[in-house]
Amino acid sequence: MIVQSFIFLLLVSFKPAPATHVRAYDTPNDAGGSVTVKWDLSKDDSIVTKYEIIRIIGSPNGERVSAGFVLRGTNSYRDVDLKNGQKYYYMIRTWADGEYSDSEITPTPAIPKPQWFHTKRVVALVILVIFTLLLWYYLQLAKKGAPLWIRKIAGLEAIDEAVGRSVEMGRPILYILGLGAISDIPTIAGLAILKRVAKKAAEYEAEIIVPNYDPIVMVAAQETVKEGFMEAGRPDLYRENNIMFLTQDQFGYAAGVDGIMVREKPGAIFLQGLFFAESLILAETGHSIGAIQISGTTSVTQLPFFIAATDYTLIGEEMYAASAYLTRDPLALSTLKAEDIMKALFIALVGLGTIFESIAILTGAQGFHFLKNLFNMF
Amino acid sequence: MRREVPIAITFFTGVLLVVAFFIPHEPFGSLEQRFNDWYIIVSGFAMILGLDSLLLHHWNKVSRRSQDWFHSLSLILAFFITLFWGFYSGIHTGNFLSAQSTFRKYFYLYVFVPLQATMFSLLAFFIASAAYRAFRADRFEATLLLFSAGIVMLGRVPMGNQVAPWIIGFVLLLFAFLLYSDGRKEVDSLRRALKFGGAILSLLLIYPLAWFFLKYTAATAGWIMNIPQLAAKRGIFIGIALGGIAMSLRIILGIEKTYLR
Repeated sequence: MIVQSFIFLLLVSFKPAPATHVRAYDTPNDAGGSVTVKWDLSKDDSIVTKYEIIRIIGSPNGERVSAGFVLRGTNSYRDVDLKNGQKYYYMIRTWADGEYSDSEITPTPAIPKPQWFHTKRVVALVILVIFTLLLWYYLQLAKKGAPLWIRKIAGLEAIDEAVGRSVEMGRPILYILGLGAISDIPTIAGLAILKRVAKKAAEYEAEIIVPNYDPIVMVAAQETVKEGFMEAGRPDLYRENNIMFLTQDQFGYAAGVDGIMVREKPGAIFLQGLFFAESLILAETGHSIGAIQISGTTSVTQLPFFIAATDYTLIGEEMYAASAYLTRDPLALSTLKAEDIMKALFIALVGLGTIFESIAILTGAQGFHFLKNLFNMF
Repeated sequence: MRREVPIAITFFTGVLLVVAFFIPHEPFGSLEQRFNDWYIIVSGFAMILGLDSLLLHHWNKVSRRSQDWFHSLSLILAFFITLFWGFYSGIHTGNFLSAQSTFRKYFYLYVFVPLQATMFSLLAFFIASAAYRAFRADRFEATLLLFSAGIVMLGRVPMGNQVAPWIIGFVLLLFAFLLYSDGRKEVDSLRRALKFGGAILSLLLIYPLAWFFLKYTAATAGWIMNIPQLAAKRGIFIGIALGGIAMSLRIILGIEKTYLR
């Protein structure tokens, strides 16, 4: 009985081993006011209930406050809302069932301060600079009138065919901009294609219906279609009522658009923008009514659905290229040329990386890891 | 001026946000979040425009007795019932989606959620019909797609390794039978020999392929998903990222003006 009580007392009053090697430093690449604290887990981590982070202000003997808690197995904490330029020391209190043990206090203070450059974004900056230089070069070429060749994009070539077919069948054209907001680039790309479709529809005196998920996109679509009709010289055919708002519920929108498809039986359906799980519901309904469908999205997860269910698909970047492709504006085409050169650079880098890494793995020569190490630096 | 002012605003804002991306220091660090907050406020007000468009569109249909006008009438009625019921429940319980709210119980949980689930569940049938068309082995690419998709499907289901050899064996047996039947009808002796040879090859391949798939179906499915599939996906991602940069630069520099009047 005495032995059992002794063991019970031992268990109840068991002090866990403290966290060790506590270090604190100013959080890199932030707007200041933050310190990152790291430590090595207690040897008794499996029975630890929590780690309490104690902030000590000014000096190791300064005021101590509890900064926060983390659960066992966690060995880092980001302390926020601190004063820039102030010295902070830290200590980790390891708790296990009401008992605790304290770690050593960090030997050097952490002083939060804001940074003027995000060092982890060097690669992005380099890409942006190269891209801008290439763009500038091709803009100069375009201004001089140099011919800029771009490959044929079947989906965009088929726009006129789709509109023409719809007119021949005496049916309206349905243009779906997806679930994107006006701040999404695919939506803007979709609007660029809409202008071309609207212009063609006006030339052929066809009706165009644009159901919208977002009210701001609806207003932009109304303006775009109006502009297209005006460019075609037929503003009298423009019907604002046909570019309407449906709902901001994903499947409500899908149900609404499906309803329009089944009732109006459009001859051509354009699905251009940002799509999610509703993509196949829309595309399959469009297929079931026998419409010619041209889709385009940058959602990689939805692309296979569009490829399977629609007649033509603009894959990712092809959609972004649409406005330049359709207008044949030399300035816009120059951005496509710059993009192509960047792509070639990326392909070369990927190819070189594959070769060097394969050599490094096969021969064990560490020097061949230089390309990987270079990118790992940033 | 109608175009120049929006282009100037776009240029200034675009450049500012690009700079802010690289500078965490205030006031740049929180700029993107601030712009997003403003966008949410503006889009909240824009909802009024959306509602105006929706109700006007359907009211016109009802007043003109257009085709299917009763659908429009049901939409208008549903809109106002939802609105007033939501307000009523909100006033009575403090929150229109609280556990005591009749709106939450009778409308949201018993009508709205099942309707959403119904639409979503249609996807399963649409996937089947789209897959049927996409997997028709009428071209080399489609056959490759069918084969890869078959392996991935088998590799991702429980007992896939055990089921796969039987399916592969059956397909090869069927293939051998079809080649043999075709070969018997063939007049040209060379073509007949080729078809008979194909049938024998299919029979000979049954055991080694069945053995391979018994051991490696899940691993092969994983390889297809992690190597060729992911490589193609990353290629598209790089293209989208570069296309996005090009499109953004076109907008910032005022080359892309389609969204403007």
